[in-house]
Amino acid sequence: MELLAQGIVSGILVGGLYALMSIGISLSWGALKIINLAHFSFILLSAYIVYQLTVSFEVDPLLMVLVVAPLFFLVGVLVQMFFHLAKVDEFKSLIITFGLFIIFQSAMQTIWSADFRRIGPVLNPYETQSFFVGGIAFQLPQLVAFVVALLIAGGMWLTFTRTYFGKAVRAVAQDPEMARAFGIDSRRVAVILSGLSTAFSALAGVFIAIGQTMFPELAVAWFGIIFPIVILGGLGNSLGTLTAGVIIGVAAGVSSVLWGPLSAPLVTFTILIVALLFRPEGLITKRSIA
Amino acid sequence: MSGRVRTLVGFVAIAVILGLAPNIQESLEFPRFYLIFLFTMFFWISQASSWNILTGYSGYFSFGQGAFYGVGVYTVGVLVVKQGWSFMTALPVAGLLAGLTGLLLGLVVFRVRRLTGEIFALTTLAIAFVLASVARLSTFIDGGTGIFMTGTPLPEFLGEFTTAAYRLTLAIALITVVVAYLIHDSRLGWGLFAIRDDEPVAEGLGVPTFRYKMVALGANALLAGLMGGVWSLQLGFVTVDDVFNIRVPLFVILMSVLGGMRHWMGPVIGAVIITTLTDRLNSAGLADVNQIIIGGMLVVLALAVREGVYVRMRRRWLTTAVTFFGVLGLATLLDLNDSLISDFAYAMVATVVVMLVPDRVWAQFADLFRRSEPVEEPTEAEDLTRTGP
Amino acid sequence: MRPRTRWTYLILITVMAMVAAACGDDEGEGTTTLGATATTLTPSTTEGATETTAATETTAASGEPIRVGSTLALTGVFAPTAAIHKATGEVFVERINASGGLLGRPIEWILLDDESAPDLAAAAYERLITEDEVDLVLGPYGTGNITAAMAVAQRYGYVFPHHTASLTYAYTYECHFSSWSTGLHPNITNPNLLYDALESTGTPPETIGFVVNEFPGTMFISYGQPETEEGGAVTEAEKRGWEVVLDVTYPIATSDWGPLAAQVRDADPDFLYIAGLGVDAPNLITAMQAIDYSPDGMFVQWPAPGPLLGTEGADGIMSVTIFEEHPPFTDDPEAVEVAGMIDATLAESGVPYAKVETQAAASWTAWEYLQQAAEGAGSLDQQAMCDWLIDNGAQTLFHGDIEFFPDQQNYFEDLSKIKQVQDGEWYTVYPEEFAAPDRSVAFSPGG
Repeated sequence: MELLAQGIVSGILVGGLYALMSIGISLSWGALKIINLAHFSFILLSAYIVYQLTVSFEVDPLLMVLVVAPLFFLVGVLVQMFFHLAKVDEFKSLIITFGLFIIFQSAMQTIWSADFRRIGPVLNPYETQSFFVGGIAFQLPQLVAFVVALLIAGGMWLTFTRTYFGKAVRAVAQDPEMARAFGIDSRRVAVILSGLSTAFSALAGVFIAIGQTMFPELAVAWFGIIFPIVILGGLGNSLGTLTAGVIIGVAAGVSSVLWGPLSAPLVTFTILIVALLFRPEGLITKRSIA
Repeated sequence: MSGRVRTLVGFVAIAVILGLAPNIQESLEFPRFYLIFLFTMFFWISQASSWNILTGYSGYFSFGQGAFYGVGVYTVGVLVVKQGWSFMTALPVAGLLAGLTGLLLGLVVFRVRRLTGEIFALTTLAIAFVLASVARLSTFIDGGTGIFMTGTPLPEFLGEFTTAAYRLTLAIALITVVVAYLIHDSRLGWGLFAIRDDEPVAEGLGVPTFRYKMVALGANALLAGLMGGVWSLQLGFVTVDDVFNIRVPLFVILMSVLGGMRHWMGPVIGAVIITTLTDRLNSAGLADVNQIIIGGMLVVLALAVREGVYVRMRRRWLTTAVTFFGVLGLATLLDLNDSLISDFAYAMVATVVVMLVPDRVWAQFADLFRRSEPVEEPTEAEDLTRTGP
Repeated sequence: MRPRTRWTYLILITVMAMVAAACGDDEGEGTTTLGATATTLTPSTTEGATETTAATETTAASGEPIRVGSTLALTGVFAPTAAIHKATGEVFVERINASGGLLGRPIEWILLDDESAPDLAAAAYERLITEDEVDLVLGPYGTGNITAAMAVAQRYGYVFPHHTASLTYAYTYECHFSSWSTGLHPNITNPNLLYDALESTGTPPETIGFVVNEFPGTMFISYGQPETEEGGAVTEAEKRGWEVVLDVTYPIATSDWGPLAAQVRDADPDFLYIAGLGVDAPNLITAMQAIDYSPDGMFVQWPAPGPLLGTEGADGIMSVTIFEEHPPFTDDPEAVEVAGMIDATLAESGVPYAKVETQAAASWTAWEYLQQAAEGAGSLDQQAMCDWLIDNGAQTLFHGDIEFFPDQQNYFEDLSKIKQVQDGEWYTVYPEEFAAPDRSVAFSPGG
């Protein structure tokens, strides 16, 4: 039926957006052993910045990619340098980044107030545009997000498997000491990777700004979507994250259409739990960074 | 007197003193709010301590505190308001049901060998979301309409509402901490620590790892649910979003890390500190800044105090006592502000600040006064914050 | 960690701790007054006040302040709308203090943050009442928080005016006074108001679809009270002989509106009833637009009014209101003046849609209850104030004259009106006597 097909298509596309939101955390966790909860704030902060610049300067929001990507790359670099200085391990990173998350949330609320923010249709014509293929709509913001996610995931996979840098990352992820012994500047690798992760999150923020209404608590709502995708996709595995995003997106979309929206979280989390129980190996080995 | 007897006597003494607090409050005419402040602290002491039994002792990092707490809250809500049970009958059922949830979770999850570390953690988080979803879907439980706990009748012997809530939370907090203590100093506790340090080795040594983990998880879940049941009274109106959110799971982590996860007193201290600080910051009306300060504290403390504040307090016990009571006495005498809680907060902050002095620096001072042994910096092997992978 | 870094942290903490401790000393204002530039007051009698005369206009209130305590969701999920209540309260306090205060004394508003959590709200009210010992209290924002706070107020016998509690049936405290305009049975009166409005066009819908936010308030309006299941928008629609072609509940934290939009398009109702809050409507409408679908008519229960105006495809959507900034509401000069002050404060605090509507109006009215109760009783005695309100009602700026019916749990009749987005702005359209000039309900199936 058309309804089911639409649900599936919507699910796939929004899954791309979810994947884009998740890649940053996944890379950071898998390669750098840092569970960076601050990524949620980065995504939202990027969205707010896109909103602000778009509204203040009346420019096309998509162009903001050129602004936020480099900006947040820098942020990622700084954050990683801070972590290195403080010799933070996995567990501690959770605590610290949670602290950072709270600080950023507070800052955003202070700057933009707790009220809803939305780029209007005049400046943001994308939010209601779609391509139609036989009655099924492919929403533009999600479609672009999906394509971007695909490019990034593909790009990261190529990087990790083909380039020297990629191999260096995998070496550092497996055994930082050993990698250093072999002459890899693990610190530089880590810093660059962190910058990339944050830049990806910032890109996700652009699409949030285009497709949704923003308010500070929005970042908290993402916990329940991004974590399942990160785990399902495999830490550090970009293609896996994309696949997981699509799976979750489709599962949510289809269950929503068949059994009502309330069933969606139940379905997605059950899938996650089942997957974790029966295939944790295939999903979470360090070697799966790709 | 052996250490254990001493501790148990200590517990009894504290139980008596705290138990009399409502009476003290009335006769000395302290503001009733002090009771609320205290029982909020009891709530968090219990939640943090029960969480630590699993995560701190065994190293299995749990994000699922919210799930067990939620089961407790909703069990009481449904049984009392929707099914007409009495509160005191529903409460133990809440604990048992939560405990059962934990055991079921453990049965499934502990059997899967490779489910360690961060994956276990996120599975527990997933459970919370699943339960929330179920609560939303089932009209028997909630179905989106919420449950009104206001006006729930409580047994006469507990007193009026605030006193009743106080006594209930005190009782459960005491039970939780005693349980945490007993486990800590027992074979079970030793086994859990062994699991935490190196599970395969522990198994090799003959530790019944599965059984021990189940006990820890079950205890964690049961106690969390029990306190959740009581807390439903304070919530007044129970909704899925108010109960199954990130607040409880995250704060117990914060408190336990702050206080120290190796020792049963750690979460208690952490809970006391955090509760007092948030209360005072909130009452000062520093609404926005409050969040930033908590966040900042989290960052700084995680960096500066690796093994938790309690361990340091214990090492530097004399200084702790002097600082704390000294500042408390000063603040009360000088009557700097109207609230005892603020005085207490000052004393606490001062003590914490003193605790933050790095060990190396402290050692120099200690040597100066020729204390018993020179203080050692915890070595890598003793890095007590290392739980999980 | 190098020693220098450790010292930096140590110093940082010490400073922070000292700041925190020092601020813990400040027991007074929780609010930051925004210093709103108030428009000069034009001489007019404050409605309902029994003793302010023109002469006291310029007399500043003096003496020991009357302390009013309350909480608001300054952070957390309810924060977006709580900001409106904060601004409104600040304007009220400023205005009343500038014109002689309450019983001649200035009002001091002690506002705490309940972080959108009911247990924190309850604790905060206990603190306000027993530690800060406030003279009066006012309700918080958000049904859960209001419920928890009301229990505390009841325990200590404080008169409890509040503004936005949607689960009307649950409030049985004799001294609670709601300024929520829907009366005791919003699940019956609200939908029927809308349906009457639709029928007044002569072309009511034949099919109707419901998308319901799984929030207790909207569930109540849509399906009626949980136990009795009486009333509810869905049942009331069926009573009119309209066919319910869609009835879906969605979670509060929905982030993907695509599937829901697809379901609506699939059902294709003449009229879509969005029992939603906040930005549910803009999100859903945008998602529907993206799949090239637009229902003939729409209604949304409690939207954040601003975002909806900026949404493509939202023209023609209806909602409930109690006050809008156009005639006949603006025939009252005082309402205009107050609205202007509130607008200014809202704008200053960064709220995007800086106009008075239901939320601000409800907030103002709750403050008025407090003021009139104290002035009427001539004292701050809670029981006296409570009795006075029940005996005399209140004369409010935005809600008109209100009578509290004890047999209806102190509720009054449903005072809501219907508003509609027309030409990019909100206009009241029904009942006719409250409609904006030359405006009426615009709806026709297939049109």
